[in-house]
Amino acid sequence: MADTVATVTLTINGREVTVPKGTTVLEAAKSVGIEIPTFCWHPKLKPVGACRICYVEIEKMPKLQVSCATEAMPGMVVNTESEKVKEGRKAVLEFILINHPLDCPTCDKGGECDLQDNTFAHGIDDSRFDFNKYRFIRERKSTFDDYRIGPEIVRNQNRCILCFKCVRANKEIFGEYDLGVFQGGNISEIDTAPGEKVDSIYSGNLVEICPVGALTNTDWRYKIRVWKTQQVKSVCSYCADGCNLTLWKERDKVYRVTSRRNDVIDEGWICDVGRYGYQLASVEGRLTTPLIKKGDKQVAATWEEAIGLIARKFREIKDKKGGVCIGGLISPQQDCEALLAFSKFFRTQLHSNNIDFRTEYKMLPEKESPYYSRLTSASFRIADIENSDTILVVGTNLIKEHPIVHLRVRKAVNQKGAKLYTLNPFTTKSGDLSRDEIVHVPGTLEAFLNGLCIGLAEKADGEGNVRAAELKARLEPNTTAKAAEICGISEARLNDLAEALRSAKKISIIVGELVSGSPAREAIAAAIHNLTVVLNLNERGQAAILSRAANSKGAERLGVMPSLSKELQQKLKSMWGGFPETEGRATDRMIHAAKKEELDALLIIGANPVASFPDGQFVREGLDKLDFTVVADLYETETTEKADVVLPLSSWVEQSGHFINLEGTMQRFEAAIKPVGNSRPGRQIIEDIAREFKGGLFADAHEIAREMQELLNVEPRPSFPDAVAEVKFAEEKIEKDYPYPLFVVDEMHHFGHLTERSRSLAAFAAEAQVEISPSLAEKLQIENGSLVRLESETGKLVLPAKISEMLDNDVILISRNFSGTAANMLQMRKKRIDRVRLIRVDEK
Amino acid sequence: MVDVIRTVFIALPKGFYTTLKHLFKKPVTIQYPKVKREMAPRYRGLHYLEVYEDGTDRCVCCGLCAAACPADAIYMEGAENEKGERYAKIYEINLLRCIYCGFCEEACPEEAIFLGHEYEFSNDNRDVFIFTKEQMLANRPKKEKPFKRIIRRVRRIF
Repeated sequence: MADTVATVTLTINGREVTVPKGTTVLEAAKSVGIEIPTFCWHPKLKPVGACRICYVEIEKMPKLQVSCATEAMPGMVVNTESEKVKEGRKAVLEFILINHPLDCPTCDKGGECDLQDNTFAHGIDDSRFDFNKYRFIRERKSTFDDYRIGPEIVRNQNRCILCFKCVRANKEIFGEYDLGVFQGGNISEIDTAPGEKVDSIYSGNLVEICPVGALTNTDWRYKIRVWKTQQVKSVCSYCADGCNLTLWKERDKVYRVTSRRNDVIDEGWICDVGRYGYQLASVEGRLTTPLIKKGDKQVAATWEEAIGLIARKFREIKDKKGGVCIGGLISPQQDCEALLAFSKFFRTQLHSNNIDFRTEYKMLPEKESPYYSRLTSASFRIADIENSDTILVVGTNLIKEHPIVHLRVRKAVNQKGAKLYTLNPFTTKSGDLSRDEIVHVPGTLEAFLNGLCIGLAEKADGEGNVRAAELKARLEPNTTAKAAEICGISEARLNDLAEALRSAKKISIIVGELVSGSPAREAIAAAIHNLTVVLNLNERGQAAILSRAANSKGAERLGVMPSLSKELQQKLKSMWGGFPETEGRATDRMIHAAKKEELDALLIIGANPVASFPDGQFVREGLDKLDFTVVADLYETETTEKADVVLPLSSWVEQSGHFINLEGTMQRFEAAIKPVGNSRPGRQIIEDIAREFKGGLFADAHEIAREMQELLNVEPRPSFPDAVAEVKFAEEKIEKDYPYPLFVVDEMHHFGHLTERSRSLAAFAAEAQVEISPSLAEKLQIENGSLVRLESETGKLVLPAKISEMLDNDVILISRNFSGTAANMLQMRKKRIDRVRLIRVDEK
Repeated sequence: MVDVIRTVFIALPKGFYTTLKHLFKKPVTIQYPKVKREMAPRYRGLHYLEVYEDGTDRCVCCGLCAAACPADAIYMEGAENEKGERYAKIYEINLLRCIYCGFCEEACPEEAIFLGHEYEFSNDNRDVFIFTKEQMLANRPKKEKPFKRIIRRVRRIF
């Protein structure tokens, strides 16, 4: 590659510099370590040359040039430190400082401010400006012009130096148009569009890139000075993207989170869930001591009592009925060490395979189909998305599920001209970017994918693709027309997509939660597998079902599942000197067994199945029948209410460990603060129980690292059938009584059951809402914010309605992140698509 | 013999003359604690926090005093008041750590903290030496004249 890129050679400060063609002078200088001061320049944004501080002198050019917007040309002679340049910088700084208030003592940016640093390095110490500074004055209650432009962002226009970084990033990178520049000249103002608020999921990044204190966020505001804090390297514990974070802490308190740029993963952008999610570690109401149920009450106990009781009970059950009567659920937000300890405890001491980390999925199979396993373990690189020219997003609201993957897709589409196609049962934000946003009838995804395969097979048949003929024969009686009819899309659109995929050079197929959480996941996976075969995707792209939580991938790789691949089983057998022969149960079969009283005890670490398992009735009945339930969590949840022993768990900021992100990259995160109260990290809890039960799990820290490494060396799912899969067409059954399909999804600013405790995230959304499309609202005469009643066969819920401009078909979305709303009571685990009816509640 | 004469007739009267001379001079001893000495104007004693004429804090909790402090004696926690301004929710000086160098006074951009003339604060309990914001505000000397700004240059902040 390197030799095909045209280069230019120029001289900067007497040094010869060779850079690829198209590089700016500023980047060329930076590449050899020559620093040029900047305000408006950002490595991921297009240059605008708004601040003029990056002046350099270029020979044969009469005036100083802004280096950020000047392309390096062959033979250029650049001087960044001449007297003329220094004079220019001084003048620019003096000009910028004309209206800039000298309120550094109260400004939160003080200490890390680009304007402070640059003035100190390049500016003058006095001003010749003798008039009163221009002041923005709003209707305000203070002497400052502080004004909230979003739930978490405070704007102080007086400090703004008009570099436009926030407005540019908002448009270019995040695709949000809620912020803009108003007025002009001296009174230019950064403000929200009329009636808008800066409340996108990426809003915190705007504060981070602001070079001065014009945008500050409320969680850091006025609490501490930047030089007093220490920085801890961490990794986000929410979605599977694995963004790198820096935690800013002082004396056992984390004050804020910023991004730690990693170009392979996050490119320096993080979402607000990662940015404000740390707050849940230090909110009132944390569990700080173990609780043991005595009678109807849970009373405080010591760790020794609690661990002793757990070990005794487990031993009783194991002796009486066998270890298979004990099951374990662990949250995929736990670190790799905890997951491995969990698996080792169950498999070597309890001799049980009943462990799972998936508590939000319906009808998990006893044994995964090879097609599905292949897609979950497929190699997938976030950075490769931007090299693809065709991207197909299937079954996911990408911006909610993987915000950083969404940014890559955006970048590929907007900057590299990729073609995006989305395939979802409802309209999503990613659809705005797409060539064609295909909204299929809910529950007919595999029909569409099969139709696509037929279309492709017909086209590829003539091109000598051996698989195409086989696939065509397999799907013979069906036609694209039939598929299009089933999923309610015109045949032309299906054929257009097939043609786009066929002619693409590099393809990324991104599959999300709506597939992996659905009972039809195997059929859909088989259809996607067929698609990859007929497209010959091994050679021209990537396709993967993205894992959901921070360490879901780690749980898969380390074997926290009831059934494992042969290779992994073999490895564990040789490593631990034995592996239970019994068949394991996945989450819903464990609960089913509990309901039939075949399972007696459950150990739940960090998970909240009562609120998240997609069949509220079923999971509540199941857990009530258990003899002995141990739940470890940060806060009291619906699940801890049912527990016999509640253990206080430490959050991820209180411990160090490893997460494996959706690409399979293992990343270490460090502890920032001490465990709150008497809480303990998940790994320690498991090891304590194991030590009391039978004996220690690991000799030392090296052993756990070695075992982890050995397991990760096992090729995830090496063999998969190259042949095409058998797929049936499913048709959607619509019940008359319950006409609207229901999707229980994550709220935009929340993840899992704990983030509602974070003050900042609660400021974005504090309660569950029923998201409906404007057309449906009009049909049922529902207004924004009015109460509606949802009824399904199993439950009822009354919630406020939110009319979302994003949706345009008749589906209903509810968020599952709020403890007050048992959204899963409306769901049934055996149904592929839950259906509800929606009734307006007339308030009196 | 000569020595005796020199001692008795010259040295002794000379000595007694000095004693006699001091009998009629004003004594230098100050009868502390009944009498207290006037301290030098720039004496650095116990800290106090200054306020504006309307009684609001001058301190904005910028942390420069704590940053300048060579003994790390100052602890502060900022917060937002009801007007949306920054103020020190907690401002504490550990008087046992403090070396009374006056750097905090010098670093303060708001002219909020000063080292006063108070030096009587011995105690037999270590906890008492955590000097809180309330104590520091109460320790303000009562002045006849209103507080006068020392920083001459008028900063055009607002």
